[in-house]
Amino acid sequence: MPKLKIILPLLASLSALSACSDDSPIASDNSVVADLPTKTEPGVNTTSSPSVDFNTDRNAYFGDLHVHTMYSFDAFMFGTTSSPDEAYEFAKGGTIVHPAGFDMKLQVPLDFYGVTDHAYYLGVLRQLANPDSEISKHPIASGMSTLGGVLERRQKNREVNQFMRSENGHEINDSGIQKSAWDDIVAAANRHNDPGNFTSFIAYEYTASAPDAARLHRNVIFKGDEAPELPFSQLDSSNPEDLWQWMDDNRAAGFESLAIPHNSNGSNGKMFTLTDNSGRPLDDAYANQRIRNEPLVEITQIKGSSDTHPALSPFDEWAEFEIFPYRIATYLDSDPNGSYVRQALLNGIQMQAGQGFNPYKFGVIGSSDTHNGTHAGEEYDHWGGSSLFDADGELRGSVPLPEPTADDDLYAQTYYDKWGAAGLAGVWAEENTRGSIYDAFRRKETFGTSGTRMKVRFFAGYDLPNPDDPDVITKSYADGVPMGGDLIGEAGNSPSFFTWVAKDPNSAPLDRVQIIKGWIENGETVEEVYDVACSSGDVDPASHRCSDNGARVDITDCSFSAGVGAAELRAGWQDPNFNPDQHAFYYVRGLENPTCRWSTWDAIRAGVQPNPELHPTLQERVWSSPIWVTPAQ
Amino acid sequence: MFKAFLKQPLLWFALTGILLFAVDEKFSIDRNEIFVTAAMQERLGGLWTTQTGLTASEQELDALVENWIREEILYQEALRLGLDQEDSIVRRRLVQKLGFIAEAEDSAPPERGAVEAFYENNLASYTLPVRYSFQQLYFASRADAQQAVAEIADGADPRSFGESSMLNSDYAYRSALDLSATFGAGFAERLDSLAEDSWQGPVQSGFGFHLILLSAIYPSQPSPFDAMQRQVLQDYRRSQQMNARDAYIENLIDEYKITVLPR
Repeated sequence: MPKLKIILPLLASLSALSACSDDSPIASDNSVVADLPTKTEPGVNTTSSPSVDFNTDRNAYFGDLHVHTMYSFDAFMFGTTSSPDEAYEFAKGGTIVHPAGFDMKLQVPLDFYGVTDHAYYLGVLRQLANPDSEISKHPIASGMSTLGGVLERRQKNREVNQFMRSENGHEINDSGIQKSAWDDIVAAANRHNDPGNFTSFIAYEYTASAPDAARLHRNVIFKGDEAPELPFSQLDSSNPEDLWQWMDDNRAAGFESLAIPHNSNGSNGKMFTLTDNSGRPLDDAYANQRIRNEPLVEITQIKGSSDTHPALSPFDEWAEFEIFPYRIATYLDSDPNGSYVRQALLNGIQMQAGQGFNPYKFGVIGSSDTHNGTHAGEEYDHWGGSSLFDADGELRGSVPLPEPTADDDLYAQTYYDKWGAAGLAGVWAEENTRGSIYDAFRRKETFGTSGTRMKVRFFAGYDLPNPDDPDVITKSYADGVPMGGDLIGEAGNSPSFFTWVAKDPNSAPLDRVQIIKGWIENGETVEEVYDVACSSGDVDPASHRCSDNGARVDITDCSFSAGVGAAELRAGWQDPNFNPDQHAFYYVRGLENPTCRWSTWDAIRAGVQPNPELHPTLQERVWSSPIWVTPAQ
Repeated sequence: MFKAFLKQPLLWFALTGILLFAVDEKFSIDRNEIFVTAAMQERLGGLWTTQTGLTASEQELDALVENWIREEILYQEALRLGLDQEDSIVRRRLVQKLGFIAEAEDSAPPERGAVEAFYENNLASYTLPVRYSFQQLYFASRADAQQAVAEIADGADPRSFGESSMLNSDYAYRSALDLSATFGAGFAERLDSLAEDSWQGPVQSGFGFHLILLSAIYPSQPSPFDAMQRQVLQDYRRSQQMNARDAYIENLIDEYKITVLPR
């Protein structure tokens, strides 16, 4: 700008030579801000919460790393108009009005956040609907600027999606539009990053699918405040191995990032395969590249949980939790085999034991995947996740339709009724800064929740302190490894585990805490769920189960038993079947007392019975990242 | 005498002419000539390093330069043939680039007065909420908390009470929002009625019951400009930037004669 702007004053002064001016445009006698001291006093330099000091015992921070705004092709068709900037404001405590007219606001703001719009046709559909844009003249844009109700939007959505997938899609995929959307996303992430108070990440979603609509979706999170010119999308390649190569190349160029697979539940067995993308058996190089780029997976979100499936874990009584049976955005069944986290962890250590590499040695987070430009609401305050498409109980199948359908269905036939309400990412980090939180991702010191803010600590070691020691955390860090870490098996020595779960102060009390163990025995994968701390008393040593604590929910008003359950549960634990020669992993699952599912809240508000096809209640839960125990060489 | 000399229009005309000639001589580039400056070669080498992780050899550098020249020829010819005209991608890219330049416009350091005025006009953004500083002891049951507070009032050592929890024993300068995240909704409001500097309670939270030693409730207050100036300056620049593109177009619009033909 200066170069351009100087020309005009120069020409102007040539024509008015004698007027040698006093009115110089640059102030000289007024002190300028740039000269002022820039030091600020600690504790008074923020308008939100004061910074928590650097804590070597680490603090729990909660965030969402999966959010779509108006720049995502699907979110735009659903009616979402909020920008990345507005999404970040929302995460910090602001209000966004849902396109259906109600307010969305968090009771408690988030600590960290990443807007992850689809790189695929990034920002393009919004411009199709902008009558001033070049591409709005394209035939496929007809009707886009006047999109109305859900039916019309669904119809147009199908038409536009078809076109985007066709070989003519490039006619609207304007790189200038994508660039300007991406620049806006990057700028918003940087603008809202507030070290000590709120962390924002430059991020996007890579939305590849196999030809059978098996979803291979990942979110890419950047560590720094700069990002590559444009994100790598499935149009560049639908093979995730090419995404990792792109990430490796960019890492070498100074752009550190990691990718977080999500909705493995809807991958039809393709997310955690035992072969590479071209069908060859996995090898050391594949495993290294994958785990270098994908140290975390999303274990839960609104489109279902991905811990495990009842068919894969028949002896886990809590496996049936927010199971979404389809490939995402279709009604095609998704094969559980190869689609769930626990099985992948098991297959990973099996490869480690047999072949010496493990592509599935990952930690876990949760996130929302909302397409409303916000975060997920809670069960009692459900906003849906697809703007106008699931904005109320009738649309999402929790409340009967005014008239039965032509097929005599009382409820809308939709997959939204099988969606969960929420998902949340947790990390243990020294402070709320990009560096500290990103490092926690890399060390897998992370956990995921189904939406409520439960906190989970988890350590393993050979010399852990007594669980009641007042310095139990400091000593556990000193003498053990936290979640995400590795322990080497010692002959004749069984490691101790320490776990500590605290309830969400704004949700129900805790029911129990469990340690889930996976191991390799005679070459086969085995899993077992051990209850380790009960709100109802001691664990039965034969069944490894707590007794029922008696907590119940009244589904006519969602009230639950008072005085039952625990605020915190902690336990020291030793594996009764530990074998130092076996490869094993352990992770924690903490369960809340039952509460109403969102669909029951919807029904109560509408004054109708809950949909009998849906679970009326659920047990919110937290999952820690695993600790791996590897035999000594 | 010297001043009178300076006022000679002819002299200024001549001087300006000489200056423009010199500028033209120095900077104008013959269209049929391509200069590959040392800086450009260095940039090509740097790009190669970025992409491969290796330093370009002399041979590789020669190849890079040759490739760049071939591209430059195509680029120059494309410009000569007007291929950049009516190309929506080129148009958008140029518009975008100039837009960024306009936004980055920062001809003068902002005056302190203007930034202070911005701070005054947006004081709500620089105002700290009410904050609480206190110590707490946690009890799962109300009865235990009641008994403890009675014993402390009778002179017992507060440090001998309370159950261990993930909560801290001390909280300093916490807003009501912070406290609702940590202790549950409504907790801060329950502290408002407590007397300072003695153990009070029990106060109920999302976890159970607490005895509280309140040291202070700090009223809401604007952070002084001096402490906030870096933030204010950043916000001020942001707001200027948002107006800059519009202002830039407004400035230029008079330079154009615009005719919109009837449809």
